[in-house]
Amino acid sequence: MSVRPMLADETMTWRASAREWLRSGNSLPFWLLAPSIFLMLAVIAYPMLTGFYYGFTSGSLLKTGKFVGFDNYARLLQSADFLHALWFSLVFAVFNVIGCYVLGLGLALLMNQDVPFRGFFRVALLLPWIVPSIVSIVSWRWMMADQHALFNQIIGVFGGSPIYFLSDENWAIAAVIAIKIWRSFPFMMLSLLAALQGIDRSLYEAAALDGASRWNQFRYVTLPQLRNISIVLCLLMTIWTVNDFDTPWLLTQGGPANATENLVLLAYRYTFGRNDVGLGSAVSFVTLAILMVLVVILLRRQRER
Amino acid sequence: MNNLASSRKRWGLFWLLVLITVIVNLPIILMVMNSFQTTEQLVNRTTILPHDLTVANYRYLNERTNFWTFLWNSFTVSGVSTITSAAVAALAGYALSRFRGRLITGYSRALFVVQMFPIILALIPLFILFRTLGLINSPLSVIILYTVVHLPFATWMARAFFDTIPRELEDAALVDGCSRFGAFVRIVLPLSGPGLAAIGIFSFLFSYNEFFVANVFLRDQESMTLPVGITMFMQQYSTDWGSLMAAATVTVIPTFILFLGIQKWITYGAVSGGVKG
Repeated sequence: MSVRPMLADETMTWRASAREWLRSGNSLPFWLLAPSIFLMLAVIAYPMLTGFYYGFTSGSLLKTGKFVGFDNYARLLQSADFLHALWFSLVFAVFNVIGCYVLGLGLALLMNQDVPFRGFFRVALLLPWIVPSIVSIVSWRWMMADQHALFNQIIGVFGGSPIYFLSDENWAIAAVIAIKIWRSFPFMMLSLLAALQGIDRSLYEAAALDGASRWNQFRYVTLPQLRNISIVLCLLMTIWTVNDFDTPWLLTQGGPANATENLVLLAYRYTFGRNDVGLGSAVSFVTLAILMVLVVILLRRQRER
Repeated sequence: MNNLASSRKRWGLFWLLVLITVIVNLPIILMVMNSFQTTEQLVNRTTILPHDLTVANYRYLNERTNFWTFLWNSFTVSGVSTITSAAVAALAGYALSRFRGRLITGYSRALFVVQMFPIILALIPLFILFRTLGLINSPLSVIILYTVVHLPFATWMARAFFDTIPRELEDAALVDGCSRFGAFVRIVLPLSGPGLAAIGIFSFLFSYNEFFVANVFLRDQESMTLPVGITMFMQQYSTDWGSLMAAATVTVIPTFILFLGIQKWITYGAVSGGVKG
């Protein structure tokens, strides 16, 4: 028996390779993975299958209901709440990704310069990302709570009339997006900074020798070099935004009048507010279906690299 | 001459970044300052800078609220789930780092995909299941979920750390008659101490900061973790901004301390876990 681990052929099916390990007495990788696989099956796979089934029932949290086929999904398509949540999820994701990318890239470019105490800024600018959601939102809420709050005092100094950020629908949507950008741009900045530092210096030297201006160097060297990582980062950010519960819930609880309710909040409200497990499960599976499209694109891009 | 211009440019950028950092962190800075103001001062104040500092909010927090219970719950839940997920992730990460095959690639990809799932998907069925098992309001429900939710990230970080440890060390141990698992436990694990510590801190931070899952499963005040507990302050004492700010400030202290401990690993972790897959 060889001391090296079995190198199973990539073309072998996973079942055959699992059997191979067990038979050859080299079942170690299987046992190493066993606890992890068990937890994933018990806490993710099993509930997911049950949840998928719940989507076709009329159950409540206390009592599993009877099978109703595609009723829940049909109800969703006719529901204004659902269509709004779908729309808001989209708007939320698109604006957040654009905002994070612009802010993140701008700051990453700035920090990629020769600035004193660069390490300090890298850490200090990460804070919004690591503070617990509740903590940052308490502070943001205080700043925009009512007509005497900080933002309105500042607006007052410039002679404007107070804005009711959290009770006006459009302003609430803008506020949720702005705070989400604030909470998530540091990740973008950090990853783009790492990517910028990975670009070969000689590309810039060659471009400079050819007489390229700073702008053209950015346009023809930096941007193409960042292309792949940018696409991956934007996809990830989209997925995380669609999944976000904390920002809209803690800021406005989905209000006013459900204006800031995304799909996750809607699934939560149907399930835990209206006690309709079937409808809640159906919404969460629609969310999953949308996310799977993004995940597949993401996986494909990563395989290409 | 040229030198002078470049030095001026460097310090210009420096002050620009100072300004940006202050603006970006203003909500956090204001929160800390506000925690030393009474609610009355907070609501009626006309200047940004605080005056007549007071610790009344902190005294209130200590004497009249369940703050310490929330904090204690947060520490137990985060501590236990961190230890479990780090242990499970270390085993799986080692398998992903050292072995090849369909099972390994398939599982690695499955972990990546699972991380993208909306948590609500598992929450609804688990709520029903945990209710029949009597696990609602029990720290165990949240511990189980945190362990699993952070597992993919922790596994990749573990794998990335194990990748940096040369295989020759284990080969030498195998020649000396060690079993493969023995080589892992005696040679590889001790060498990856700092890496495992970083993974542990990451998991702890995730759990300590987490709100959504805790909000679903922990519904009575005795069992709540801090993020959920603080929302009780918002509803019950809706205008009491002072104690809210004080609670938020104390909550963030452990986060800061842990963050400083892993800040040099953050790029590494973010890039290896989130982006590489």
